Formats: sequence, C-alpha cells, structure tokens
Amino acid sequence: MPYVLLVPTFLVLIVFLFYPAIETFRLSFFKIHPWTGAEKFAGFYNFIKIFKNPDYMDSFILSAIFALAVIIAGLFFSLLVAILLNTKLKGMRFYRSFLIWPYALSPAIAGALFRFLFNPANGVLCYFTGTRTWLTSEKTAIIVVIIAAVWKNLGYNIIFYLTALRNVPGACLESASIDGAGPVKKFIYVTFAFLSPTTFFLFIMNTIYAYFASFGLIDVLTEGGPAGSTRILIYHLYKDFFVHSKIGYAAAESLVLFTLVVGVTMLQFRTTGKKVHYQ
Amino acid sequence: MRKKKFAALIVAVALFLPTIMFGGGSVDVDESAEVSIEFWHAMSGARIELIQGIVDKFMEENPNIKVDVQYTGSYNDTLNKVKSAYKAGNAPDIFHSYEIGTLGLINSGIISPIDEIAEKFKREIPWDDFFTPVQSYYKYDGKHYSMPFNSSTPLIYYNKTFFEKAGLDPENPPKTFGEIREAALALKAAGYETPVTWNLHSWYFEQMICLQDEPFVNDKNGRSGTLPTEVVFNGPAGQKVLEWWVGMEQEGLFLDVGPGWSNHRAAFGSGEAAIIMSSSSDVNVLTAALAEKGWEMGTGYIPRPEGSKGGVAIGGGSLWMTNNHTPEEELATLKLLTYISEDEAQIAWHKGTGYFPVRKTAMDQLKAEGWFVENPNYLTAFNQLLDSPETLNTAGSLLGIFPEVRDMVQSAIQEMYAGKPVKEGLDEVAAKANASIAEWNDVIQ
Repeated sequence: MPYVLLVPTFLVLIVFLFYPAIETFRLSFFKIHPWTGAEKFAGFYNFIKIFKNPDYMDSFILSAIFALAVIIAGLFFSLLVAILLNTKLKGMRFYRSFLIWPYALSPAIAGALFRFLFNPANGVLCYFTGTRTWLTSEKTAIIVVIIAAVWKNLGYNIIFYLTALRNVPGACLESASIDGAGPVKKFIYVTFAFLSPTTFFLFIMNTIYAYFASFGLIDVLTEGGPAGSTRILIYHLYKDFFVHSKIGYAAAESLVLFTLVVGVTMLQFRTTGKKVHYQ
Repeated sequence: MRKKKFAALIVAVALFLPTIMFGGGSVDVDESAEVSIEFWHAMSGARIELIQGIVDKFMEENPNIKVDVQYTGSYNDTLNKVKSAYKAGNAPDIFHSYEIGTLGLINSGIISPIDEIAEKFKREIPWDDFFTPVQSYYKYDGKHYSMPFNSSTPLIYYNKTFFEKAGLDPENPPKTFGEIREAALALKAAGYETPVTWNLHSWYFEQMICLQDEPFVNDKNGRSGTLPTEVVFNGPAGQKVLEWWVGMEQEGLFLDVGPGWSNHRAAFGSGEAAIIMSSSSDVNVLTAALAEKGWEMGTGYIPRPEGSKGGVAIGGGSLWMTNNHTPEEELATLKLLTYISEDEAQIAWHKGTGYFPVRKTAMDQLKAEGWFVENPNYLTAFNQLLDSPETLNTAGSLLGIFPEVRDMVQSAIQEMYAGKPVKEGLDEVAAKANASIAEWNDVIQ
C-alpha cells in the first residue's frame, strides 16, 4: 500500500527529473545535430572542449566570486533588515510586506527595473551618481548585477530570518542580561547561535540561487557583457544551448555545473554544517 | 430521369475536375478540402494584431483553410520551439526566422524549399516582381528557400532641430565616416555631450563591411553552395569600420549604450543623442518620439568610408515551410505565403510597421497613393537598398553559426571600447569563429 501511494510522486519525478537528468548525462558524450537531433558518439570531446576554452575557465572564477558576493551581502543585509523588522514599531506590518515584496518579482522584471535605473542613456541613478558607465564598464557591471541579485532575493532571506528571530527564546536573552551581557554580546553569543541552523540553510539556498537562478537577471541587464564580464556559468550554458544550439556542449556544461554545486554544498555540510547548533 | 443523369454528370465533373486541373504529372490534391495549418511568427506588440488581420483576410478569401497564428516569442525562441516541436512530430507548417538563420535552416533537414513546393503544385511565384536584394538574399544554389517577409536595412536617424542649433545643414545628413565625425564634433561644440550612439550590434559592422563591397565570410560570402569555412571580417574593411566606430567612443563623441534595442532609442527620444543608427523599421517609433518633444527628425543612408562603392544587404526575416506535411497542407501553406507577399498584405504591413514591401507592384501602388510625399522618411531605406549594386556581398553573407559570431563580435567591440587594439581584437574573434565554424560544419554534415 505505501508503494502505491508513492507512485504518483515517482511518476512525476521520473518524467521531470530522472529522465532529463539521465538524458543530459548521455547527451554530454555526443555531438548532436542542432535541428534533427541526430547523434554521433564523441567520448569526452565536449568536456575537453569546454575545459580548453579560456572563456569558460574565466566564467568559473567569475561565478565563484559572484556566488560568494551574493551569499555574503545577501545574508548580511537580510539579517540586518530582519532585526529591524523584529522591533515593535508603528506600522511594522506595512514595512514587513514592502520589504519582502521584491521576492515576488520575476528575475526578468527585477532586471528591467535595474536596467531602467542604470540605463546609460537616461538612467536615474546614472544621473545622480554622475557616471553613465555602470552597466557598460567591465569593472562595474558585475557590481550592479550583484546588487540586483541580492535585492531580488532579499525577501526570501528576510522571511526565514524573521521567523528564526521570533523563535529565539526570551528566557535565554534574559539570563544573558542578568549575567551582564550587553546588546552586542547578547546578539553574538545568544541570538546568532540560535540563528545558526537558519543561516546554514540560507547559505545553501543562496548558493543554489547564485549558481542557477540568476540568469534571467543577467540576460536583461547585460547579456553577459561587457566583454564577458558578467557571463557566469549558467549564462554561458544558456547561450550555448538556446542561442548557439550546441547541445552536446550544453549537456556537458550542465553536468559540470551540477557537480560543482553538489560539491560546494557537500563541502558546506562537512565544514560549516558541523558548527551549526540545533536546539 | 434526365435530371438524375444531369446530377450524376455534375457529381462526376466535381469529382474529377481537380484531377484534370492538376493533371500533367503534378500531385493530386483536393483544393477545396477543409484543411488547417499552423503559422508561428516572432513579431511582438501591435504587430501581432496586424499579422492576425492579414491572415483573417486570407481565411475570408479561402474559407476552407483554417490558419492558427501564434506569436512564439523572439526569433530565437521561435526557432527553439520549432526545433522541439519538429522532434515531437508537430512542427508548424510555417515559421518565421531571422535572415541570419538562413544557412542553418537550409542545412537543417526540417524544411521544404518554397520553390520546390511551388513547382510541385505548378504554381508560379513571380520572383521577378520582388525587389532583387530581397529575393536574392533567400536564394541559394539557384533556388528560393523561404518567402521574404519583414525586410529592413539600418538607417541613420538625426535630429534636424539639433542640427540647426549646431550650425549644420538639417537637409543634408552626413554620409561618410568622416562627415559623421565632423558633425559629431560640431554638435559637441554646441553643447550636445555625446551626440552619436547606436546599440551594440554586429549587424551595423556587417553592413558597413558590405558598403565597401567586401565579404564577411569566405566561399563567395557563403553563397558558393559549399559551407563557408572561415570568416574574413578581420581584413582591412572590418578594421576600417571599427577604427572609426571605436575611435568615436574613445573620443567621447559616441555613447556606449550596450546591447538591446531600447537604450539607443531612448537616448534619441530624450535628446541625449542627435545622430543614431537603427533599423529602418523604427521610422514609426522614432518619428513619434521626436514629435512629442517638438523636434523634427531626418533620415539618411548609413555612413561609409570615403570613396567606397558597395551597398547594404537586406536584414529582417522570412517565412519558412517545414517538411513532412500532406499535399493539402502544403498547398494551403503555399497559398498563404503567396498571399502575404501580395500587394494588399504588403501595403498594410508596410504602413503598420515601416518594414518595406517586398514587391515592386506594392511599391508602385504606394507611390501612386502619394504615401511617400507624406512620409518621406520611409523612402530613404528603399532608395538606400535600390542604390546598392548587385553583388555577392550585397546579397548578404550566409553562415551557419551567425548568431554565435554576432555574440563574439559584440563582445570584442566591448573589449575595444576598453582599450584593446582593433586589429588584435578582430584577429582573436576570427580565430574563435573559425574554430566554431569547423565544429558546426562537422556536426551538420
């Protein structure tokens, strides 16, 4: 009986997850005709080609920097906002919904908003900062993309931090005060310790977000430019499959990306995961 | 009794008439049979309604044919959808592709060349009535592969009001690389900070090589019948274009607005820029944007290096037929494609979008109506095209990996903006492109 109940779930998983995953694995060893899908076995050809491509290797480093920046800035600012939102102020419910709201936007819309702000022709923020080249200079475009990616995901992180903050037992904070801990010490040794499971969870979710979910933003903001300076791995993969029709390459790239993210997540479990304090 | 015999005769005639009409070796097909076909296109916004309107008229005239028209996203999205639909066995009868997809589609194995289908049903498509640059782009190895649909070229758009303020002749737009630069200097001196801009697009680079009557790829610009193996845009012609273009950016005369089709229009509409380059299909939008501010707009041919004798190649898109359909569907598809190329549809299409009509008769009718007297800017693109000599270069270059090469060229131009020497940048792109071409040629055969 329990197996019967599992059937629908498994059917969905097989059709939408396992079959495509196995197919991707298989395709990464073939040269594939972009139109008819005719296949020629190619061994490790696709993997060798992508790793010999200096642009792809640059993209590796860029993705790591991008992910790190998105995670650190994202967690820092969302915790900060969550702490503010956890205070008792008049109209707090109003602020809460407005600060969580960016998460409801699709990445493409978020991208369009930032493009509007930083448009070199007549962007509002270009005007106020006196610099037109935010999105057209190799040095600054990635910064705008990081800010946009952090802003877009802020709401998600805030919701989790806010819930966690509310679950910090008052008794512990109180006893810390009695022992003479000031607000800073209380935050570091009590509150943050209680937040560690949430932080760890968000760490992993933001890693996945930075590696997989930010391509719509980049497509709208910079198309991977200027000169490849915002072309992270997932955008490279998108271009190779959807624009350049290199199916074998794209399959190999998605396998590499998958392995990479699984690896990073495992590493996080091994290292940071051990320091997490569960109640 | 007599009546019965007569009725029998009519039935017999009705049954056999199609066979008689289409006898002589062609395919038997019941022309009045109910048939439904699918048409996927890549024109967004108000153009969705416009195409639906043209197709509705067609269905009125051909009540047995039902056409399901769908807007399927950008050219690129449309091609990807066609790919998966074809693999799943339900490809649309007609789909829309950009011009740079042509060689890829010819070699795709999923299409039927329109000339072959026309011949199969003994229908004549009056190619002589099509403008030569338009029909020669889609002709390969002596055969037309697709039906030209939305045709455009790049144009120079300039703000006449600003020209006057800067002491320039508003009726005489700059025509050469040097003249553009001089106009830009004059405008800058008059207080227009970055007077020139256009979006980061390889199309302009391609066209300005064409203006020098030089090819973009080898093997007769990709038109020899064999697949091209190398790009040749890194020669002197390509260098000349980018030395000038990138040079203006570095002098602060040209505003880099990045890729996409909205930023340069916005710069022109807000008065940030006084001279831009854009597609001729932007006449409508840009005229309206400037009129809103009370400025007058002019158009001109795209600039060329002094003394060069080439012309422009057609851009835009065409309509393709997929293979493996019943004869009834094929005939209905052919009829629709022919209808779309005829005067009524083309005139509606031109007036609604600014893309130019593909046939001479439609053009003559527009002239007779006095349309161009009221809308002189529409004529500029035409004249630019018709003034172009007929060569393999102005027929337009064909390359299987064109979309990828465009990405590469655009990335390289951004590196040049940041200071990389033009020659070095172009040689690097050429090497990358050639490697990619070799891979594509290997996979496609």
